[in-house]
This record gives sequence, structure tokens and C-alpha cells, in this order.
Amino acid sequence: MIAHWRKLLAATAAAMALAVAGPAAAQTKTLKFVSWQKDERGVGDWWGEVIKEFERTHPGVKIEWTKVERGAYADTMTTLFAGGQPPEIVHLASFEFQKFADNGWLENLGPWIEKSKLDLKGWSGQEKCTWQKETVCIMMLYFGYIMAYNEEILAKEGLSVPKNYAEFLAAARKTTKDTNGDNILDQFGTGHETKGGGGQYLSEMLNYVLDAKANWTDADGKITINTPEMIEGLSRWKTIVKENLTPRDLSAGEVRQLFVDGKIAMKIDGPWLYPLMEKAKPETRSKLKLAMVPFSPPVGGSSNVLAMPSEIADETKELVWDFIMIATSDKFQSLFATLASSTPPSPRADISDAKKAVPHFDLLVEAQRAAASAGVDRIPTGLELPFNEFAKMVMEEAQRMIIQDLDPKAVAATIQSKAEAIQKQ
Amino acid sequence: MKSTSRYSLARPSRRHWLGYLLLAPAVLLIALIIVYPLLVSLDLSFQNVGIPRLGQTRRPFTTVNYERLFASAEFWNACWVTFKLVVIVTFLCSLLGLATALLVNNKFKGRSLARLFVALPWAIPEVIAVVIFAWIFDSSFGLMNWLLVSLGLSDQMINWFSDPQAAFAVVCAVMIWKGYPFVSIMALAGLQSIPEDFYHAARVDGAGPWQRLVHITLPCLMPVLGVTMVLVMLWVFRDFSIIYVLTGGGPLKATQTLSIMTYEHAFGFFKMGYASAVGIVTLVVCIIASRLLIGRRAESIY
Repeated sequence: MIAHWRKLLAATAAAMALAVAGPAAAQTKTLKFVSWQKDERGVGDWWGEVIKEFERTHPGVKIEWTKVERGAYADTMTTLFAGGQPPEIVHLASFEFQKFADNGWLENLGPWIEKSKLDLKGWSGQEKCTWQKETVCIMMLYFGYIMAYNEEILAKEGLSVPKNYAEFLAAARKTTKDTNGDNILDQFGTGHETKGGGGQYLSEMLNYVLDAKANWTDADGKITINTPEMIEGLSRWKTIVKENLTPRDLSAGEVRQLFVDGKIAMKIDGPWLYPLMEKAKPETRSKLKLAMVPFSPPVGGSSNVLAMPSEIADETKELVWDFIMIATSDKFQSLFATLASSTPPSPRADISDAKKAVPHFDLLVEAQRAAASAGVDRIPTGLELPFNEFAKMVMEEAQRMIIQDLDPKAVAATIQSKAEAIQKQ
Repeated sequence: MKSTSRYSLARPSRRHWLGYLLLAPAVLLIALIIVYPLLVSLDLSFQNVGIPRLGQTRRPFTTVNYERLFASAEFWNACWVTFKLVVIVTFLCSLLGLATALLVNNKFKGRSLARLFVALPWAIPEVIAVVIFAWIFDSSFGLMNWLLVSLGLSDQMINWFSDPQAAFAVVCAVMIWKGYPFVSIMALAGLQSIPEDFYHAARVDGAGPWQRLVHITLPCLMPVLGVTMVLVMLWVFRDFSIIYVLTGGGPLKATQTLSIMTYEHAFGFFKMGYASAVGIVTLVVCIIASRLLIGRRAESIY
């Protein structure tokens, strides 16, 4: 009888233990990862591979990968951080992480880099991740602009690929036309986003500004807008837009699509244009080629960063760091080149496979190096925190110059004083 | 038993308790999702804060946001743009809504179909409608420019979103298109509640169509139209998606309303304290305008 009770007790205890331990064994830890790049061809596939590798090497840990559109990204991330619920893996654009770092929301990665002996020597754009003497992020892409052109459109006008601004302007003027005689321009020499956010507008302008040897600030962060060089840069921008050498009021995505559809002769853009070109109709695809930009230096700079929230549990930080280590490993940096058809920031990445798969890869590397050696970045030094406000102001003053046909000299003076006021805030 | 009957909600003197009890969840929910954020926003507007955080130590009290706001040309421009938009859109929505309601209130063949078409813009999601209009008014490849040039009404492409006046006109047009069906539906409901006897009596007295409209239809519709106009006005005041998707408030702040300004300072420039001040001022203006309109409605009817 006693034995029977013992058996019953043992069975009950075992059942209870199973009931308690069962769910615990099945329980998985989840890391949230929010990104705007989830469905992007190439780079989205690469993130997918990094996640797969992380989950493979960390049994019981899952990554919840959520897409948030770029247009709503800053709002979403701000709300998540402000509500004390940031994603564990923080993915931000390189022009917006400063606000988060300034609030003390990003972990100082210095000790983590040191502990894991992560070699970031020669890592493109990594210096941009330093905020108040702390490394708050890892740069995930530093690029240089390239020029895509429609060979057929240029050939029809007897034009060769332009090598400088004068040739580019002449080619743009010659290829902007009404091709079907309905008095409406339907083919454009070039294409820029002239509607939308200030950041993209500034990048579009920067092509002409940099070639005129101007920049918004110097290396010390001093505003350098009211200069003869900047006046020349503004004049060039005014010429391109005012003469309708670019379609007006389109977003960056729409302009890229027009180029892919064969409606634009020359498009200056980042490496992400290539995957879109691949999607062009076969009859157009064969006419779309790539070359170095006819401007010196090319626009380039940092794109996006990986970071870690400062206020999460230490064991979670360990996991996030592991994720960063996988993303920054030589293996995955090499894979980035192949999958994203883009230049990885790591100097140790093996890009031989990418060179075989992507015919223009050398061009991307050359553009990246040209931008990096000239110290180009889309975010001006000294204006990192109020960048959005600065970009919006420059966009509005440039629009005013075009709409009201203002003298670029006066516009440069106005932008200079307004930029100084923004910087002093 | 005694205590049960003491607290019984069935007792006539306790019946109002039941009402409060039934209302309590809704009141609590409203307090949670409307009143609490409003109080947080009011509190933030008196702090010089960039990105706030729940549970963060409160920054010192300051009126600097309001001082900056009232001294800012951008704020007064946004007020002016909002005022213009509210007046134009509310007036034209009401006019068009009333006209279409009067039209589809008549008996004619295909009336049901006409009613469907009148109400259709209201049923289309706002963002989808705006994207369609953005393509219609596209400066380079849009249908509107093609029509204007093809019909010889314009000799050049109009840069709808690069010209301040044109951009404002496009925003007004889209808002009117999206808003008039609401007025139309409400007015139609009001028209159907006007007793036919009034019109018979007026006809006997020799009143013409215009007199019947002015002396019977409009006065009888005023209770409905008054409330509808307040609702349309508040919609225009707070609408964000139409303007944001179409113009983003540009060019040159020509379409920047108070709601766009609030959003831009909050999520574009991360100045939550300043943005909260804009939001609070917008709320106060909305309350004053609503009270004025509702008060006026009461006078007109009674």
C-alpha cells in the first residue's frame, strides 16, 4: 500500500515537474529588430541571412523582424524609445542616430568592441559613429554615388558619357525633350527628387555643390555657405531645376522608376539603383549602363548604423552584441557585397565573389574610395543634431530661389545666417 | 436581504447609479486615451524638452515655448494657412454638399446611382484618394497638365507642387472632393425630414423655388447644417494625411497648417515641448471656433 502511495506521489511530482519545466524548455527569448530595409531587394536578403545565422547559433533566441516604412521610421523609433520599449537591435539612419545618442539612449559600444577585439580599423565611415567621444554605433554602409545612364538616349543625340559638369549640363539640355510632339516634355536629361524630405533634397543638391568645391560646413563645423563656391553650386542647382532638366515634384523612388523606364538620360544615385535597374524591362535593361559621376568628388557618405539601447538587461546586451558581431564578421561582410551588390564597410571583406557576380563592382569601390578620401558625408559636421531642421531650411530657401527667381548670391547669404541661427540653438 | 435592497439599482432613487456604472468604462477609456495624453501634452508644452520619456524627471517650468511660438512668423503663417483652408474648404464643401443633396433629393431616373456617386469620395480611404490626386496633378506626367495643354487652356506645364498658389489650390480641391459627400449625406437626411406640407402651403401662397429654398429648406436644414459645418471645420483643422502626402506643407510653407507644423516640430525636429505648445494652441483655437459656430447655430434656429 505504502509502495503504491509512493508510486502515486512520484508520478504526481514528475507530472508537476513536467508541467513547470515543459513551458520553460519551450520558452524562447525574442529580440525585436525594426528596420526599413526588410523588403529591400539585396540588402533585405542580407539582413535575413544574418538573422538566420544568429538564430542558428543561439538556440532558444528568436529575432522578431518588423518592417517600418522609412517615412514613418523616425516617428516610430522616437515613440518606442520615449515609451521605454526600444527594439533590442537598433537600426537607424546615419543622420538620425545622433538624437538618440544625445538622449543617452544608445549604449557606449567602446567597451564591447574592446572586449571582443572587434577590429574596426579602416572600417568605412566608422568615425561618424562617435558621439561625445563615445562609439555609439557600428556603420553598416558607406557608399559613393555613381552615374547610371541610358546609352541609347545619349547615342541618339551623338553624346558620349559626360566627364565633367559642363558636359553633363550640355548633355542634359540636349536630351530633355518632347519626344511625341504633344508639347509636353516626356524625356529628361537627369532626375532629382524635388519633393519630399529635406535630407534627400540636400543630397541631390550636394552633387553640384561639391563639384563647385563648396560645402555646408568645414571640418570644424563652421558654416561655410556664403562663399563664391557655394554661390556657384546653388546656381548650378537652379539651372538644372529651373530649366526643367529634371522632372519636377517627384519623390526619389518615382525618379528612379522613370530612369528604369527609359525616360531619363542620366541618373546620379547610390549603389541601390543597380538592383532596380535589374528589374527593368529587357528592351530597356540592355541600354542602362553605369559610369563614374562627372563630378568631383562624388556625393557619398554614411547610410545606416546598428546600435544597442543603453537601458536593456545585461544578458540581452550580450545577445545584441553577438548579433552585431555576426553582421560585422568577415564572412557576412563578404556576403553583403554579393547579396546587396554594394560596398561593405569592412576593409577585410572578400569582394571577389561580388566582383564576379556584379559587373560594375569595381566602379562602386572606386566611387566609395573617392568619396571617402575627400571626406564627403551627407551630414554636415557641426549640424548633426539639427540636421533635419537645417535640411528643411536649405530646401525651402533653394525652392524660393527657383520659384521667385532669386539671385544665388543673396540666397547663399540668407542660408548662411539661418544656418548659423540653427547651429546656435 | 435588507442590505441587498439598500444597494439595489432597481430602486427608483438608485437608477442614476446604473447610468453612471454603465458609462464608467467609456469615461475611463476616454480619460485614458484622450485626457491623459492631453494633460501630458499640456505639461510638455511648459518644458523646454526635445524628446521626452515616460517616467523621466520633469524639466523646470518655462513659458519659453509659447514665447517663441507667438514671436514666430512660421506660427502666424500656419495660422493664416489654416484659417484660409478652413474657410474655403468648409464653405465650398457646404455649398457643393447642399447642392448635390438637393439634386439627389429630387425624384428622377437613376437617382440611386446618382446618390452612390455623390457619396463615393467619402468611402474611398483618404491616403488612396490623395495618392490618386498626386498623380493627377503630377507636374511632369500628370493627367491635369496633359488635359490643360491638350485643350489649349495652358501653353506650358504647371508645376502644381512647386508653386505656392497652385499647391494650395490642389490641397483645397482634394479636401473639398473628400469632404463634400459628408455634407451631402447629412443634408439629404435633413431634407427628407422636412414635412411636405410646408412646401404645399408655400406653393399655395405662390412661393417660387428660390423662395421655398430660402424660407423653408435652409431654415429647416440649419440644425443639421450647423452641426455638419462644425464637424467639417474640425476635420479641416485637424486633417493631416491629405496635406502631408500631397505637399508635406510646402512649397515655402504655403500649405503648412497647424497640424503639419505640430508634426514637423515633434517628429521632424524632435522638439516635443515646442510641438506640444503648437498642439495646445490649436486645440484652444478649435474649441473657441466650435463654440462660436454652435452658439450661432442655436440662435439661428430658435
